[in-house]
Amino acid sequence: MVRYKSRYLLCELCVSDQSSLQLLDERAVFTAVKGAVSWAHGDYGAALCSVSFAVKYLNAHTGVVFLRCRKSHYRLLWSALPFITSVESRGQRVPCFFNCLHVGGTIRTCQKFLIRYNTQQLLRMLRHCHSEAERLEVRKAVLSCSVKSLGKEEEEEDEDGCGDEEEWGES
Amino acid sequence: MAVFIDLNISYTADKKRLQNIIETAAHLGYSTVAINHVVDFQQKKQEIGKPQCISDLFEQFPIVQGKSRPIKVLNRLTVVVSEASHFRTTNEVKLYDIVAVFPKTEKLFHAACMTYDVDIICIAVTEKQPFFFKRPPVNGAIERGVFFEISYVAAIKDSTMRRYTISNAHSLMETSKGKNVIVSSGAEKPLELRGPYDIANLGLLFGLSEGDAKAAVSTNCRAALLHGETRKTALGIIHTVKKPQPTAKRQEEEEEEGPAVKRAKTEAM
Repeated sequence: MVRYKSRYLLCELCVSDQSSLQLLDERAVFTAVKGAVSWAHGDYGAALCSVSFAVKYLNAHTGVVFLRCRKSHYRLLWSALPFITSVESRGQRVPCFFNCLHVGGTIRTCQKFLIRYNTQQLLRMLRHCHSEAERLEVRKAVLSCSVKSLGKEEEEEDEDGCGDEEEWGES
Repeated sequence: MAVFIDLNISYTADKKRLQNIIETAAHLGYSTVAINHVVDFQQKKQEIGKPQCISDLFEQFPIVQGKSRPIKVLNRLTVVVSEASHFRTTNEVKLYDIVAVFPKTEKLFHAACMTYDVDIICIAVTEKQPFFFKRPPVNGAIERGVFFEISYVAAIKDSTMRRYTISNAHSLMETSKGKNVIVSSGAEKPLELRGPYDIANLGLLFGLSEGDAKAAVSTNCRAALLHGETRKTALGIIHTVKKPQPTAKRQEEEEEEGPAVKRAKTEAM
């Protein structure tokens, strides 16, 4: 049995203002990426990339996005991503850019990478803590996330925890 | 994992914005960035000033993504040359870590490739290339270790600029075959930067092969940096540094010691 080979692009949406990430939804990202592809590669590129193209996941806290497309044309899609300057959502333009973190063959490898990446982020953010009390607070927040949801959702929750830390760390 | 370098961040007097850009670059995984000071002699009252002191920018430099080291910031000078008299190696030029030229005519492009003591030659991205790239100067530049730079910020901003950027890049690739090419940002705002892997992929649009495209953001940039270092030092072999303040201390010591010796002498007598 032969399956269709896909590529999953794990991207990070970088915005200047963290709170504007809440405005985004999957549809907005979908149209933005599709528009960028047709802008950069014309009708031909848009047609090739639209085969099985989907936004699989969007985390509105951290701005992490999973994009899926066929293995044969993922470079077309990827080379169009740098040209995105803003995402339009609910009548508002959110200026942002896509930063591709990882490209994987399955969504599982991407998830594994994301967990590792987020733990790294947490360590980076912990440096910004000013006092020991703050650090303890962060540790407590992370622990509460992971203990609450054992099993499947554990990893996802972990991400959310990190997301909160990011916002909190910068403030 | 390779070390990624972005050799072109536009200088702004706005310190806050500059800090923002450098923080974003560190977040994206660039371990070295260069702040670009552009001097265009066609505009009035332009002169090469001293570069800004980098340690003034941050008290603590942001940590690079995926590394434990802080980001390294350098100074770069770009001279827009439209007449042969514009580029001269003066003492001010030597203060910068990297020197680039932006030749406007074919003659100057030839001179820049063959004789000028520079590290980087910029390629026009906001207009159609006014001349063809010929083999001899380009090959000469590759032999001398001078790099060609394509900046991608214009391509992001505007659709017609993108056409110029891509067509100019392709015409350069025809002659240089992807060797000695750097892709850099030229960002004025933090949101104009892109991640290094995205740029490596963007290089494919510029006609670079996969390996060359990755080299264009990592190893080629490093080579350009080292080329810049050879100008400051004696061909990179010997490097002289002024010691901060040894003379004052030594004098004090001598003053203290001097009488002691005399005292010893007098005692001996």
